[in-house]
Amino acid sequence: MTLVEIRGARKRFGEVVAVDGVDLEVAPGEVVGLLGANGAGKTTLIRLILGLLRPTAGTVRLFGSPPSRHTRARLGYVPQALGLYEDLTVAENLAFSAGAFGAAPGRLDGALEAARGELVAELPLGLRRRVAFAAALAHRPDLLVLDEPTSGVDPLGRARLWETIWEAAAGGAGVLVSTHFMSEAEQCDRLVVMAAGRVVAAGGAAEIVGDASTVEVRAERWEAAFTALDRAGLPAALVGRRLRVPDADPRQVGAALDAAGVQAAVRAVPATLEETFVVLSGDGGDPGAAAPDRAGVA
Amino acid sequence: MWAMVQKEFRQLRRDRRTVAMMIVLPVLLLVVFGYAASFDVTEIKTVVVGPGAQAAADRLREPFVVDRVEPGETRDDAVATLRDGRAQVAVVTGAGQPQALVDGADLFAARAAVTAMRQAAAQPGQVAPEPEVLFNPGLETSVIMVPALIGVILVFVGVVATSLGVVRERQAGTLEQLAVMPFRPSDVFVGKILPYFVVAAVDLTVITVVGITLFDVPFRGSALTLALGATLFLFVTLGLGVLISTVSQNQGQAIQLAFMTVLPQILLSGMIFPLASMAAGVRWIGYVLPLTYFIQISRGVMVRGTPIEALVLPLSMLAVLGVAVFGLSVVRFRRDLAPAGTARAADAGERRKITAAAR
Amino acid sequence: MSGYGVSDLRVRYGGQLAVDGVSFTVQRGTVTALVGGDGAGKTSVLRALAGAVRPAGGGVRRPDAHRIGYMAAGEAVYRDLTVDENLAFSASAYGVRGAEAARRAAELLRRTGLQDAGGRLGGQLSGGMRHKLALAMALLHEPELLVLDEPTTGVDPVSRAELWRLIAAAAAAGAAVVLATCYVDEAERAASVVVLSEGRPLLEGSPEEVVARMPGVVVDSAVRLDPVTSWRRGARWRTWSADGTVPAGAARAEPDLEDAVIVAELARPRRAGEVAA
Repeated sequence: MTLVEIRGARKRFGEVVAVDGVDLEVAPGEVVGLLGANGAGKTTLIRLILGLLRPTAGTVRLFGSPPSRHTRARLGYVPQALGLYEDLTVAENLAFSAGAFGAAPGRLDGALEAARGELVAELPLGLRRRVAFAAALAHRPDLLVLDEPTSGVDPLGRARLWETIWEAAAGGAGVLVSTHFMSEAEQCDRLVVMAAGRVVAAGGAAEIVGDASTVEVRAERWEAAFTALDRAGLPAALVGRRLRVPDADPRQVGAALDAAGVQAAVRAVPATLEETFVVLSGDGGDPGAAAPDRAGVA
Repeated sequence: MWAMVQKEFRQLRRDRRTVAMMIVLPVLLLVVFGYAASFDVTEIKTVVVGPGAQAAADRLREPFVVDRVEPGETRDDAVATLRDGRAQVAVVTGAGQPQALVDGADLFAARAAVTAMRQAAAQPGQVAPEPEVLFNPGLETSVIMVPALIGVILVFVGVVATSLGVVRERQAGTLEQLAVMPFRPSDVFVGKILPYFVVAAVDLTVITVVGITLFDVPFRGSALTLALGATLFLFVTLGLGVLISTVSQNQGQAIQLAFMTVLPQILLSGMIFPLASMAAGVRWIGYVLPLTYFIQISRGVMVRGTPIEALVLPLSMLAVLGVAVFGLSVVRFRRDLAPAGTARAADAGERRKITAAAR
Repeated sequence: MSGYGVSDLRVRYGGQLAVDGVSFTVQRGTVTALVGGDGAGKTSVLRALAGAVRPAGGGVRRPDAHRIGYMAAGEAVYRDLTVDENLAFSASAYGVRGAEAARRAAELLRRTGLQDAGGRLGGQLSGGMRHKLALAMALLHEPELLVLDEPTTGVDPVSRAELWRLIAAAAAAGAAVVLATCYVDEAERAASVVVLSEGRPLLEGSPEEVVARMPGVVVDSAVRLDPVTSWRRGARWRTWSADGTVPAGAARAEPDLEDAVIVAELARPRRAGEVAA
């Protein structure tokens, strides 16, 4: 049974259409990544799934019916701000959320157990995120919705958090992860990319990138190359000492460098997921605009 | 639902400031209304002048308490004594009936004096002087309230607005940015409080003008003296505001602390309940509050026309408090902002993170 | 030694040593990345470098306050001022006046895509836009040393790309750039990386050097091999083998910077009573 089924969902706020005809599914045991720039409609879509908003058109089904107070018991949600009470201890936070869901607080592992009497305000971010996870998982939800679950965490901490996510999926839960972090997105079973309220790409990371290419520039002095490309209106990204210009024509890049008298080796290389994403977002929407961007709306 | 209740209790237990407010406040109110709140004046400081002074003084009964007997002084001297606030009633003896001059700026003492005198006059065979109320002949409350109100406004602007203004910086995370910019700590400090100083000055002027035009409050004394008193008072209140901001992490906490410093001042500074009526054990609190001294200055200058020489005590007290509070606030502010010798964290949360990570 | 940086830096908060013996140099025209988790000491190092906090020990080489640009963690802009007013404050604080200030502000607004948002309040901007504004404020006076604390954490990829273009442009113009990040892929873009944990330096050098110096080997497998030294990488597992042996069912993997950083954290000597991550 599909956990989340969204067909043609639209959500309008006055004149602004935050979600414009989106289809989305999440099945048990899979980890789906949701990507989108600010204003793409990701947050609104999540709020539709959580039942905090009603769609203007289309259908949103959670466990087979529209989201309601009853479906909440089968849902685990970790917001970006973690939703923890800083002035309560780890144990108290877990007791509260367990009590709210009518479940027993689960067993705690190693580091969390050692910290059970600590105020959340005193914990480093990595531990806080693990507490938030524990709070969302205690009642064994069928669907986990995570908003930026590893933002600000070091690589090892991030790997540990993903272990928890994969364990939940292995246990049969479906997981929807909203993220800005590309290497995290690559860990998902499949991705859904949104821009301007629509789904502009879906599938595995490799599928989405397809055969998109980037132009790589290697120059003696990268600063000169960068400035030359900048002046020619070609947005270059600095990676170590090389430059990369996504979605560009190598000949155009070469010409711009020649015109500025900069010596460089220019060649086409496969694009990364992040570069593809940026290009998709640029075509699909206007990330600089802020109409649905205001806090609480997008 | 029980989970909610349990959680709220646990959070409340840890919120020391709110708990303090819920305990300190009732205690304060109890103290005030138990010991301080009284409009009854039982002792009226009286000075007796003129040739028949001693004889007249011997005949005076309570509530009048004879403070000085000066046969050599005249009526003008007596008026000056009242104007300087050195006594509340002056009896002037000479040829004919003694005159009783009453300081109308000390409202409740004045009312008590007038009542006592009229009662005495009503007794058969008694000859009592007809009281003459100076400065506030109608014994109107608004006349003495407006000068006190000026003080309250200055307290609000000084303490509440300032504490919010500086805390806002901390909450927004921009305090750190300021520390790195080429500002001297004094630039930041003065820059932050100057607008509030200006607002307070404007408020002061507006209230004074409205008081004079709309409520017929007199302004007999020197505007410069009042300005001096207001400036010194502002140093204290602005300093207090900054001090509160250095111990508050967010605006809610700042407001709580500000409230807890403003309320006692309103109740115990002599603004509403005369200091003389308070039980001695509680009256001392009034003498520690800056508002008490400012009200002495504002009432003195506006209603009585007290000259600056007679206000040296309250002005000095404000100066001393100002130096202490302002100085302390500058020290704490610098520590928050500027590179300190012991590298104090500008934000307690940062320090906790370090401690936590070191576990 | 030319360039800016710190030598054997120690920073103390109250009784705790937040930074314990960190040294690095930032050359002009390059980007140096500080990597580490929350509480590792990145923010403290950057604060000491920028002059917001006085070190308890060690030395700091930096230009004077007018030539430093600093961006604090979490978007530190004034929410009750407009974009234009925020930039004007920065200009005025750093002594950039009149026409020059207007020119620089206009250019930075254009490069950050905020040119139409000049009148918008800081509080009305999205997170990514606030980060861009904070960066613009730090760049307005064309600093020689640019110190950025997690400039792209929590920012969407489109804004992140734009932020990096600005950072690269600043380096191209000759600034020495130091930034703190929790993203290893960002650290890979830097010319030089410093990995911190609990206030101490774990690794230092260019990304290639750091990877080359990784002790032991990293192996890839389909299942978890060890409770402590194994970690997830996508659908598969990586395990660190300190002595270089490859366990059965695993194959040696080509390590990247993320592996090196994780291994450094695993290899770090543990304090008494510390629970393994």
